[in-house]
Amino acid sequence: MVSLNTAIVIKLEPDFSEGNVSYNSDGTLNRAETKSILGPHSAVASKAAFYSKVKYGARISVGTMGPPIADYALQQAQLICDADELHLYSDRIFAGADTLATAEVLKTGIGKMEGGKMDIVFSGHRASDGETGQTGPQTAWKLGYTFLGNVIDYDIDLEKRTVIAKRLITLQGFYDIIEEVEAPLPAFITVDPSYKPAFNTVSQRLAFVKYQKEANERAQSYKKYLKVFNAQQLGVDPKFVGLPGSPTIVYKVEKIPKAKASRKAEVVDASDRGQIAKVVTRIHEILGGIVIK
Amino acid sequence: MTMITSEGSYRNLYVIIEHEEGKPIPVSLEMLGEARRLMDDFNKKYSSNEKVVAILLGNNIRKLCEELLLYGADAVIYAESPELQYSRNLIDTKIISQIAINKECVAKISPDYVEHFKKPRYMFFAADNIGRHLSSTVLAELESGLASDINKLVIEDLEIKHEHKTKGQAMTYAKTLEMYRPDFSGFLWTTILCLDNRNPAIEREYHPQACSIIPGVFQPLVRDSTRSGIIVEYIPKLEEQDLNVKILSRKIIKSAVDFDIHKAIISFGRGIKDSPEENIKLIEQLAKELDAEIGISLPISKKPYVVNETITSKYMTPDRVIGTSGRKVSPLLYIAVGISGAMQHIAGMKESEFVIAINPDENSPIKDDCDLFIKGRMEYVVPILIEELRKQKLVMEVRK
Repeated sequence: MVSLNTAIVIKLEPDFSEGNVSYNSDGTLNRAETKSILGPHSAVASKAAFYSKVKYGARISVGTMGPPIADYALQQAQLICDADELHLYSDRIFAGADTLATAEVLKTGIGKMEGGKMDIVFSGHRASDGETGQTGPQTAWKLGYTFLGNVIDYDIDLEKRTVIAKRLITLQGFYDIIEEVEAPLPAFITVDPSYKPAFNTVSQRLAFVKYQKEANERAQSYKKYLKVFNAQQLGVDPKFVGLPGSPTIVYKVEKIPKAKASRKAEVVDASDRGQIAKVVTRIHEILGGIVIK
Repeated sequence: MTMITSEGSYRNLYVIIEHEEGKPIPVSLEMLGEARRLMDDFNKKYSSNEKVVAILLGNNIRKLCEELLLYGADAVIYAESPELQYSRNLIDTKIISQIAINKECVAKISPDYVEHFKKPRYMFFAADNIGRHLSSTVLAELESGLASDINKLVIEDLEIKHEHKTKGQAMTYAKTLEMYRPDFSGFLWTTILCLDNRNPAIEREYHPQACSIIPGVFQPLVRDSTRSGIIVEYIPKLEEQDLNVKILSRKIIKSAVDFDIHKAIISFGRGIKDSPEENIKLIEQLAKELDAEIGISLPISKKPYVVNETITSKYMTPDRVIGTSGRKVSPLLYIAVGISGAMQHIAGMKESEFVIAINPDENSPIKDDCDLFIKGRMEYVVPILIEELRKQKLVMEVRK
């Protein structure tokens, strides 16, 4: 079998689903009360890697930087992608890292994955809490891999060792563009949220079922696949990680001042049926009276 | 003993321009406008002569170079080649990084600063599908800091006391770019700074101070045909493997969601939470009565509810988000259902002709940005609206 080594970098993030997310009365996130899970974009990246497993028999390693509880995100990712290896990079000196310092840890971690040299690394489009979308491309650059962002579909040419990917490009004031590119491996792909894998052949569907079953079994005893690295075990220079390795700092956090009212609202009491009827008449006037199909 | 080296080495503000075949993406001109305002104040305050420098890569772009001067750039550094027709991360990152540290270009633009020039002082990128990634890789190459999705910028001399940056000592960081970014809730502003490490144990310079800027936030300058400036060509140094990413095809697609062809838009937010599935169906019905397109607030795109898969994949998608992280719309009628009115959402719909909000809480911020505020729960209000719409439609048909 032709070998293909893939890695995924993922993140433990606040769970924004109703019932799990908790907001303060001022509309800001209550982090203490909100549970953490595998981030939704990380889950999409895991699905994209699983596609490689089903289609090309790829080996999958998953890595994350975070506190010890981030192993939960690794387990959830393994459940999706049937990972062969899980890496947790965890050290107090990593805390407070900005994207550049995080990328330094992830780059070093990927270098320690068992498959040796990677062919493709996947990451999510952006974290749903930090939302910078910078960590993926910065890790790619440090690894020296070709970076492809917003990928909605991909296939590998195993003989040519290239990836053919479709990318979604959305630009202000222009129609969206789907760009098809071919790039040599190794490549680093951030997966667009709209990515959906398609398994078209019978053998793919059989492989899908087989690996999904295996993923279930593996995730139940995920610790067998887990390796935890601190800074020393990773061999990173403390100057380049955590707060010392972060060019940026958060200087202040403030409530966004309430903007001046842009309009003067007329308040309508919903329980007054006559008022609502007037609203509807108004709607007709606004829309030119002949809106309704 | 701490050496302050940054003053002699960093100059000018570089703005990375994006365009489609020579036509600038609006955010590029918006960035130039804000850069112009910031540097005019800067030069006055510090009695200096630092420039706004536009960086432009592409093919057949001489005309655009001239345009950028009219929109506020003091100088344009461009690289031109058929290979640069469309943006590709690898090659663009290399060229921009080369330009950023190139002294010959600076010699033509700011001869008085060239001797000590190392890197740009500040750098702006667009926070879009291209600039977001390009900023990340360029700043990884230049090994400096980057803040994303900025919507306010201030340059100040700041006194900083930081455990790592200054080893707990109070120090003045002159000419620091304060980069404000709204968080995902839209209610918090985080100010990011990119600061040199002056702590002797970890001493390191971090320049340029860079950010990506949200499209549609800043005003471009009015095109001024009397403005002039310097245009400098940069001949990039490229290796064959830099060109290994091949663009096979580019297809323009229209999103299934097209807000512009509808006179009315109905958006919903977390106010649907008590029974999301039923409430989304109510909104669908209302939209059908008004021939309206359906939009959502940003939190909804994070799929916060478990509802049936068809509804999730149809409505809880990024292409329906209205606001700074999504689309800007300006319909005749905008109905905000169960939307509290975070600043980011307002930015996307404030140009609407007439705005109706449906919300049980009269204190929610949306009240300040609507023309009609229907106070009540959507579960109650929307069915009555539908019923009234149908009744009046019937009357109109009878009259015909």
